Amino acid sequence: MSSSQEIYRQDDSIVSRRIEDEVILVPIRQNVADLGSIYTLTEVGAYIWEQMDGQRTTAEILALMVAQFEVAEEEAQKDLMEFIQRLSSIQAITRV
Amino acid sequence: MECSHIPKISYGEFGKRLREKIAGKRVPISGSLELTFRCNLRCVHCYLGDARFGISGKEELSYGEICDLLDQIVDEGCLWLLLTGGEPLFRPDFLDIYTYAKRKGLLVTLFTNGTLITPQIADYLREWRPFRIEITLYGRTKETYERVTGVPGSYERCIRGIELLLERGLPLRLKTMAMTLNKHEIWAMKEYAEELGVGFRFDPLLNAELDGSRDLMGLRLAPEEVLELDLADAERADVLREFCGRALGPPSSPEYVYVCGAGMRTFHVDPYGMLSICIISRSRSYDLCRGSFREGWQEFIPRVRHQRSGEDYECNQCELISLCGQCPGWAQLEHGDQETRVDFLCRVAHLRAEAFRPPELIA
Repeated sequence: MSSSQEIYRQDDSIVSRRIEDEVILVPIRQNVADLGSIYTLTEVGAYIWEQMDGQRTTAEILALMVAQFEVAEEEAQKDLMEFIQRLSSIQAITRV
Repeated sequence: MECSHIPKISYGEFGKRLREKIAGKRVPISGSLELTFRCNLRCVHCYLGDARFGISGKEELSYGEICDLLDQIVDEGCLWLLLTGGEPLFRPDFLDIYTYAKRKGLLVTLFTNGTLITPQIADYLREWRPFRIEITLYGRTKETYERVTGVPGSYERCIRGIELLLERGLPLRLKTMAMTLNKHEIWAMKEYAEELGVGFRFDPLLNAELDGSRDLMGLRLAPEEVLELDLADAERADVLREFCGRALGPPSSPEYVYVCGAGMRTFHVDPYGMLSICIISRSRSYDLCRGSFREGWQEFIPRVRHQRSGEDYECNQCELISLCGQCPGWAQLEHGDQETRVDFLCRVAHLRAEAFRPPELIA
C-alpha cells in the first residue's frame, strides 16, 4: 500500500476532459494504457483525479475526500488506494 | 486491476452514452476542420475545384490561429475532431497542429490520400495514435487510380502509405468515391481492404463543386448504377433494407429547410476560419477571425438551422427524405438554391425505396 506521504501528478500522456457531466481520461501516447478504450471517472474518481496536482500528499487527498463526500475514512482510503493503483497501472499518474 | 471509480469502456459504447445524454441539446461534440484546400493530387472529381491550387489569395489559418480555435472548440465541449483537406499533410506544420489537437484531448480522425505518409510520419502517428485514419483509394490498379488523381507515381505512394500505417498497427480504414472512372474496380478495392483486414466503404453520390461548377457531372454514376452497386454488396443492401424498414416517413419538422442533425452536435470550419453548419452546406458561414467560436455556435449556427422552408419546397414533404441525399447544401451546390430538388438524388432515393422497402410498407 502507498505511503500516506506520497505525492502524485497527472501524467502528460493522458488528458482529462469534462464533457457535460462526464469526466473522461483520454490516453494520447503510445506507451499509455489501452488506446482502444476510454476511461470514464465517477464523481469520486474525478474528484481524486483533480487533487492529483503534484502538490498534495495522499493523506491530504484522503482528508479532502472524507470531508467532501462524508464517508468513513476507512472506506475513502480503500477507494483512494484502488484508484492510485489503477491509475498507476495505466500510467496516468506519476509519483513525484 | 479494476477500480470502480475508473470504468473502462469502448469508444463506441461511450459515444452512444454521450449522445443519449445530450439528446435534444446543442453541443458541438463533433467537428471537422479543413487544414488546407491545397493538395498534391489533381483528382478529376475533386469538389474543391480550383481552390486546391492555392491561388485564391485567401490566407489559411496559421498554426497559432488553429491552436486558438482548438482551445475554443474544446472549451465548448468538442471531443471528436476530423482533420481533413485538401490534403492535410500538405501543410508543413501538420504534425504540430495534430499534436496540439491530441494534447487537448480531442479524438482525432485524419482523412488523407496517404501519398505523403513517410516512415517518420507513420512512426509519429504510432506514438501519438489517432482515433482513426481514413485513406481514399481511387482505384485498385495504377492505371485507374492515376486516371483519377492525374499524378504519375501517386498509386505506388498511396499503397506504400497504407503499408506504413498498417505495419504500425494504426487504425486505418479505406474508402473510395465511386464514379464512372473507377466503378469497375470497386469490388477489387473492397477485396484489397478485406485482405488487409481493414474496413472499406464507398460513396456513389458525387456532389457538384463548391464554386457551383458542374464540370464533374460527367463522372457521376447514373442512379441505376448506384442501385446496382447497392444490390451487389450484401452488407450494404442489408443496411439499406433495415433503414427502409425503420426510418421512412416525412420529417418531423418540415417547416424548416434543415431536417437533418447538422448544427446540433456537429460543425465545420474551412481553411480560412469560416464556420458552417456542415461540410457540404457552406453558403452561409461565420468568420471565426472576426468572432469567437462560441458566438458562431450559439448565435450564428441556430439562425442557419432555423431558416424556414418555402411552401413550395416539395422535398420536405417527401416520405423518402431520410433516405435521400437531398439537403440545402447539395441543392445549393447543384442549383445555387437551397430548396431546389436535386433530380439525381431524388431518382436514387426512389430506386432504393423500390428495391429495399419491406413489402408490408408499400402502400
